[in-house]
Amino acid sequence: MKRKIVGYYFITYLLLAILLIFVLFPFAVMLSMSLKAPDEQFTSPPYLIPHRPNLENYFHVFGQGSMFARYFMNSLLVASGATFIVLGVAIFSSYGYARLLFPGRGFFLALILLSQLFPLAAIIVPLYRIMGATKLIDSYISLIIGYLTFSVPVGVWFLRGFFLSIPQELEEAAMIDGCSRFQAFIRIVVPLVRPGIGATAAYLFFITWQEFMFALTFITSESKRTLPVGIFDFVGQYETNWGNLMAASVLICIPVFVLFLFLQQQLVGGLTQGAVKG
Amino acid sequence: MKRKDVMKRNRKKEWIAGCFFILPSLVLLFVLVFYPLFLTFRYTLYDISLTSTRYLGWATYQRLFAHRMLPLIFRNSLVWTIVVVVFQFLLGLSSALLLNRSFPGRGLARGLVILPWVMPGVIAGMVWRLIYDPQLGLLNHYLRQLGIIAQPFTWLSHPKTALYAVIFSAIWKGFPFSTLMYLAGLQIVPQELYEAAEIDGAGGWMKFTNVTLPSMRPIITTTLLLTFIWTFNYFELVYVMTGGGPAEKSHIFPTYVYDLAFKRFRFGLASQFAVLDFLFLLVFSLLYIRTSFRREKSL
Repeated sequence: MKRKIVGYYFITYLLLAILLIFVLFPFAVMLSMSLKAPDEQFTSPPYLIPHRPNLENYFHVFGQGSMFARYFMNSLLVASGATFIVLGVAIFSSYGYARLLFPGRGFFLALILLSQLFPLAAIIVPLYRIMGATKLIDSYISLIIGYLTFSVPVGVWFLRGFFLSIPQELEEAAMIDGCSRFQAFIRIVVPLVRPGIGATAAYLFFITWQEFMFALTFITSESKRTLPVGIFDFVGQYETNWGNLMAASVLICIPVFVLFLFLQQQLVGGLTQGAVKG
Repeated sequence: MKRKDVMKRNRKKEWIAGCFFILPSLVLLFVLVFYPLFLTFRYTLYDISLTSTRYLGWATYQRLFAHRMLPLIFRNSLVWTIVVVVFQFLLGLSSALLLNRSFPGRGLARGLVILPWVMPGVIAGMVWRLIYDPQLGLLNHYLRQLGIIAQPFTWLSHPKTALYAVIFSAIWKGFPFSTLMYLAGLQIVPQELYEAAEIDGAGGWMKFTNVTLPSMRPIITTTLLLTFIWTFNYFELVYVMTGGGPAEKSHIFPTYVYDLAFKRFRFGLASQFAVLDFLFLLVFSLLYIRTSFRREKSL
């Protein structure tokens, strides 16, 4: 019996080790390069563990002449702007889709799903031309508008799941006691679904924070660039400053990793609930 | 009784409220998604450059189907999507089974496994570029130490390997989503079924194929469809790692559409490729949903 338990743990941890090496190797490469001084970056053969780890690359990323801090603020502004707008819109509509009976509900829900089927590349051309015609190109607004195209459906879908998980009897009781539908929604339902709103906000922030295609296309001036495009500053035509690039990458990853760390439970719930319930 | 009355009186109000609640999202959806999509369909009939617009009509589709890049793009997209989806399924399911066993440190392990999926796509692309790099990359170094290759190999700039190198990174990047889904699925497999199977003398593999897999069928069906659509339309990794190169050999639909539109400013042709992408996914999804639905019914 005891040998069986030892064998169980041995196999489990052996497989786990293989899995984690596969999963974490690129993170190790990123971290390692970000801690290497220039003379260590280009050695042949390359090695994973820096001999003299230092934070030079990180200081350089924030240093003189670097636009990184600016890009960081731009990303923060655009991602949180889009997140707030989508939340404001999606809280109402997802409740409508989850609870209220009105003609065409199934049809409109299908439209939301349909909007997930085409690549963003399919609507970026008309959006680009519309932005050009309305003189919005190269503005934060154009990016936020671009981000609404894919984040509104996601936000509605996520929140609808959270609303569905709340027992309907609570609102009905409130309405029998004289609340209107709207009052019941604001006073009873929204407070109950608050963790779900937090998880949705985190997910929306996560997908807009890392968006690349719109950011590459709609923004032309350096001062308005966001991080995913901005890191290509370190990629020169002939050579790439890998140390700085990887330091910047670590810094870009940190906010989303922290978000996931704190909201992991709710996020996983939001991602999987639709599928689990069928 | 009373509750029913209240609900009935409210039915008309419900209607109005429903419209009021969903109106903002509908307006946004139509203005920002469906109107541009309609425009894309219309652009396919034109030859549009930065300076001129010329109506060509349905003849454009003849030119599209005769386009020299179309067979390659289609084949690349299918290879890319199918290989990525299949391996994400295998890796996702097996890692979910592993992480579903009980052992000390399980919570931490689950958290770590999600990380690739959380990493922004552009950064994942750059890190993998570094790993594959012929001079600085650790992959070539390790492969040489193991004696598998003699000389550093340019994985991302060789026409035979470029797409597969990106495919490998894409599997790494996306499989944790499948892991999450299957982990959630494993929680809803009824435990009584396992006990019943044990009484009937089923071993581990029998239990897996006769209890676990059938119970998880709906979640597997959904996850496969989702990962198929997302992978088919996934732009960043290919764009960042190879840019569609070398010599346009590793382009898939979204990257080629983007290149046509914003490198060569051939908006009409770009829209045609985009529409093909959309129609393919639409037909595929409808067929997929119909067949998997029918199979579920017959069970």
